[in-house]
Amino acid sequence: METHNTRRPGEIVFNAALFGFSLFMFWQAYQISGFSALSSAGAFPMAMSAIMVITSAVVLIRSAGLASPGGGFAAFRKEVLPPAVLVFSLFILAYSVTLKSLGFLLASFLFLLFSIWYLERGRIGRTLLLAVVSIVGVYVIFRLVFQVVLPEGIIPERAILAAIGDFFGGSN
Amino acid sequence: MMDALSYLFASWLQPELLALTAVGTFAGIYIGAIPGLSVTMAVSILISFTFGWEVNHALALMNGIFMGGVYGGSRTAILLNIPGAPAAIATALDGYPMAKKGEAGNAIGLSTVMSFFGGFVGIIVLAVAAPVVSEFAILFQPRDYMLLAVMGILLVGSLSGESLAKGVFAGALGMLLGTVGLDPMTAEQRFTFGSVDMMNGISPVALMIGLFGVSEALLQLHNLHLAAVKQKVDKIVPSFSDLKKYLPLSLQTSTIGVIIGALPGTGGDIAALMAYDHAKRVTKDPEVPFGQGAKEGLVGPESANNAAVGGAYIPMLTLGIPGDAVTAVIIGALFIHGLNPGPLLLVEKPDMFWFTVGNLTLANIFMLIFGLTGIKIFTKIIECPKGVLFPLILLLSVVGAYSINNSLSDVWWMLGFGVLGYFMKLYGYQVGPVVLGIILSRLMDDNWRRAIISEQENLPAFFYGMITSPLSAVLFFTILLILLSQTPVWKAIKMHAHPRLGRG
Repeated sequence: METHNTRRPGEIVFNAALFGFSLFMFWQAYQISGFSALSSAGAFPMAMSAIMVITSAVVLIRSAGLASPGGGFAAFRKEVLPPAVLVFSLFILAYSVTLKSLGFLLASFLFLLFSIWYLERGRIGRTLLLAVVSIVGVYVIFRLVFQVVLPEGIIPERAILAAIGDFFGGSN
Repeated sequence: MMDALSYLFASWLQPELLALTAVGTFAGIYIGAIPGLSVTMAVSILISFTFGWEVNHALALMNGIFMGGVYGGSRTAILLNIPGAPAAIATALDGYPMAKKGEAGNAIGLSTVMSFFGGFVGIIVLAVAAPVVSEFAILFQPRDYMLLAVMGILLVGSLSGESLAKGVFAGALGMLLGTVGLDPMTAEQRFTFGSVDMMNGISPVALMIGLFGVSEALLQLHNLHLAAVKQKVDKIVPSFSDLKKYLPLSLQTSTIGVIIGALPGTGGDIAALMAYDHAKRVTKDPEVPFGQGAKEGLVGPESANNAAVGGAYIPMLTLGIPGDAVTAVIIGALFIHGLNPGPLLLVEKPDMFWFTVGNLTLANIFMLIFGLTGIKIFTKIIECPKGVLFPLILLLSVVGAYSINNSLSDVWWMLGFGVLGYFMKLYGYQVGPVVLGIILSRLMDDNWRRAIISEQENLPAFFYGMITSPLSAVLFFTILLILLSQTPVWKAIKMHAHPRLGRG
């Protein structure tokens, strides 16, 4: 456990956001059934959000008392949101959005290709190989062995699998 | 009795279950060993993939991963001085110095056998104690369950985080998230904001994958390129004289491990640190000073963290209260499979209990076998490029969340919690209490309402009952003690009394 004498960049904003969220949730919890009864549907949520309000206030006040980290927005970008994290978050977002329409195989392939290429900064041939090997591994383990239903999208994988099955079945 | 025996060995005799346990344990060792991969992450992601399975199959895999994972962390702790899992932090203190002296093989061998001993002690205690606890648990009143849940959250929040306030905040947040949706008692809407999607509540699995999978993978992007250190590894199998010499210590620290593991909310990481402390205290004159490669410093924590595995199952199976973060995830899996862990589980489903005991034993044996072999491949695998590993974790997280309900809305929740978890971890909040909170929320809410209704909504009567019933009183004062122990006054007293105990 480390002790910090200076706050981390952006810490006070995050703590303030949590405090604000807690207040909002307390108000929402109050809306459920007010102070009608101790056993009402809203009593437990109100108690929990009250604890959140108190503890987040304590955390916020404490962090306000620490020395400012300095460095401004540049420090925030370096320590809290380095480019790799930001770029990667965008990749995940794009992957989630396209998962259903492109289907698991194509979307995952593109996601792996871009992210491995970005992180490893290697040759495109090696990246391609790693992406293909990974996707085949995941597909075999999860789709074929675990029988997980994955979105099919535009690649007619079932037809391909059936064709492969026919081919081997037919050759016997 | 015969029935119990047949359940006990079910996983030993069915080839499928045997294979799943072996695969789980093997995978667990590597998951535990690779820094950045954790057992909680693996088990959370696997829950959504094992939906359709029979419960025993899913359990066999998860038990194996749990057992292997707790042990696996020690290997990277010894070889690289990077604990692969929190439970191995104490192992690095003396394991890495041993490796630097060229005794890496010896250290790994000793820690493997001691983990096996510890694991075994934990399982025996589980088999003996759980039926007793479960009989005792029938006497528990709603109030006591509520207090136990509070204690669990407080222990997680206070022992591992930066500050108690942050830990309590995280626990309350989890509890609050658990209440989202239709109230199970009155069908009133809670925090649904008029959305039909929200009426079913937030999927705990999406939350777990987000907090343990995505946030951790994103955080690991900060230090992507850690240079691997090569160590000479040979002579794995430890000498008999060493085993004989350290067995008494191993038994003592295993006992510590089981007890800490069985306390709701505390797991292998805390057990290992306490065991290290204990080993230091009882070893009067170590051959090598502690911190410079003392074998006692390796034996203590390694026995304890695996003993904690068996311990952690006790409150989970008998009270429905998870012993640590991993069992919180496993309890989530049991709920999904329609099981309701609690005092009646052992009566209604003794097969499941004995299966778990037998299966954990099997996983423990596999751990010993895999632990003493294959070290050459191991050093290769942990060097696998992180640039491939993290995209794969994220891919599995997204697909895992998607397959909960075959819908994208769980993916959005999962990603949202991933981002939240990322910032929480960065700013010193623990995510464990959030997961424990969402799992325990229903239990707490129900039992609070039952307790207060049985006292006719009379708060003073409720507190009076709490102090006059012996069980409730013990729990209540334990909670007070936990809270007190976090105040500056208490810390000052403790430092004054035992200056040696104050560790960073």
